[in-house]
Amino acid sequence: MSSSAIRMQTAAAAPEARGCALALAGIGHSFGGTIALDAIDLTVAPGELIALLGPSGCGKTTLLQIIAGFLQPSRGSVAFDGLRVDHTPANRRRIGMVFQNYALFPHLTVAENVAYGLRARQAPRAMIQSRVAEMLARVQMTAFGARFPRQLSGGQQQRVALARALAIDPVLVLLDEPFSALDKNLRLDMQIEIKSLLKSCGVTSIIVTHDQEEALSMADRIVVLNKGRIEQIDTPDALYDAPASLFVNGFIGHANFLEGRTTDPRGHVALAAGGTLALPQAGQRPAGTEITVSIRPENLTLSAGDAPGAIPTTIRVVMPLGAVSVIECVMASGESVKVSQSRAAWSGQPGVPAWLGITDITKVHVFDAPAGSPSITRP
Amino acid sequence: MQRDLGDRVYGGLVGALAAASTLLLLAPTLVVLIISLTSGMTLKFPPPSWSLRWYVELFRSPEILAPALTSLRVASCTTLFSAVLGSAAALGIFNSRSRLARLLDALFMSPMVLPAMAFSLSLLLVFNVIGLRLSFWTLVLGHTIVCVPFVIRMVGAAVQQLDPTLVTCSLSLGASRWYTFRRITLPLIRRGITAGSLVAFLSSFDNVPVSLFLADARTEVLPIKLWAILEGSLDVRVAAVSGVIVVITLLGLVCAEALGGLSRSFGKPSP
Repeated sequence: MSSSAIRMQTAAAAPEARGCALALAGIGHSFGGTIALDAIDLTVAPGELIALLGPSGCGKTTLLQIIAGFLQPSRGSVAFDGLRVDHTPANRRRIGMVFQNYALFPHLTVAENVAYGLRARQAPRAMIQSRVAEMLARVQMTAFGARFPRQLSGGQQQRVALARALAIDPVLVLLDEPFSALDKNLRLDMQIEIKSLLKSCGVTSIIVTHDQEEALSMADRIVVLNKGRIEQIDTPDALYDAPASLFVNGFIGHANFLEGRTTDPRGHVALAAGGTLALPQAGQRPAGTEITVSIRPENLTLSAGDAPGAIPTTIRVVMPLGAVSVIECVMASGESVKVSQSRAAWSGQPGVPAWLGITDITKVHVFDAPAGSPSITRP
Repeated sequence: MQRDLGDRVYGGLVGALAAASTLLLLAPTLVVLIISLTSGMTLKFPPPSWSLRWYVELFRSPEILAPALTSLRVASCTTLFSAVLGSAAALGIFNSRSRLARLLDALFMSPMVLPAMAFSLSLLLVFNVIGLRLSFWTLVLGHTIVCVPFVIRMVGAAVQQLDPTLVTCSLSLGASRWYTFRRITLPLIRRGITAGSLVAFLSSFDNVPVSLFLADARTEVLPIKLWAILEGSLDVRVAAVSGVIVVITLLGLVCAEALGGLSRSFGKPSP
């Protein structure tokens, strides 16, 4: 008790203390016979904001619980700043958690909620008061200290939950699907607010989400999980521009998958949808290899007339989405393709024939696995 | 038109049933209250004229006041034990998903289902076998066993409504298990404990079968004493006792409702 009180005092003196470095080595976990996580290695730098992204059941929540100390992994180790915490119980890891439903204590006021972690550590009364005031000010909730959680809106509850987590001066903040309970309109505002808050605190943060937009907008680096394994760890831009697997390609952003077959080892590809592409990235494969070609909707253009290299298609649906329109087309092979282009650039109606062109051939990705594999789950 | 008629018949039928059940529930209580205010010497209804004489008489009758005090003591001890044991059991059972918990739940509930007579007789036999002499405390023990299920039910309802994330969250904020229990779990199930205790108290206070078997000769409880008086003579003081009990019970219910809602503890989990 006394040691934690002393730590809290020093924390008050230097509230901008940096977050810890996190290292996961060979983490594996099984529930009964089911493998939930397998061979997870991850290092996070102090102050970094990491997103664990994957479809439901990919193991991201299990991994979060292991980091928090609520779950003992079957294999592997967790280290904070190089010190293993495998045997440190959850309430001694100094982790601030923000839960999906915020988990505010309904019988305590906003101020008491924020003070809870400090009271539990028996911090001095004066220190608690100043810290609570400081945290409420940081999340712009000073005027709401005496309210109860049920009197707050979703966004306000989330601010309180974050203030409560940050009040204990955590070395690591874990956020479990923090925006899923919010209105779509409010979501972006809260993402910006929370990202800047976490960054200004300098605390290491891990956010668990199944929403790729959330991960892309919040995180410095994204860990894409699928079926308990890491598919790729990279910056949002790199994940988008250079996906390491078909799964990542399909999960991050929208992608059209077209089946094709190489016609020579130099990278000429015959699409099942018709047309031939010269794709250097498809090279090094023997002629006749079945491949999947991935093209982002914004990398495609539609034109009313035939152009060299264009692929014939038929318009099915036109969806105007403000600045851009998303146009779904049906290929001769029956595959459907989405095209995203500025509303002004296309005025065709459903049912009319059109021609598809690729804007930037270097942004087309080629994978060996066949498209439509069941491992692809799109959000 | 056809439908309107059907709706009206349905409404009328439901209304009539509700009125009949209300009357059936209220009538005995009202009749006993009215009779207790008679000025006459008999339990005649309606009373010839009004007076509080039987209430005055009541407080001059040590042979009724002494058992009333005993009943109060038994009910108080029973409530205390039931509240502690029942809350602990409810927390254990409803926080666990194991099959053993379900089994224990059924076991703890059995005194509620078993005929009280059979249960009391068997408990008396057990006391005999282990050589335990009947006393105030054997009575409290018997009452506690039959009253614990009420507490388990109501605290269990409160535990099931409790979001387990709150406990996880408290731990993540650095609180110990004990601190979490005191500051989070207990305040949030307090309503269930209050409601369960109240019902346990009332059910102990007017319990006849357990008292009949498990009280020793010196421990005389109120309901049995009242029955004994009624057997001898149709004494109006019995109506006055009933009046006092009805009023106290109503006050208790009003207090519990004001303290946090007994009806909500009986009801479905709130959204």
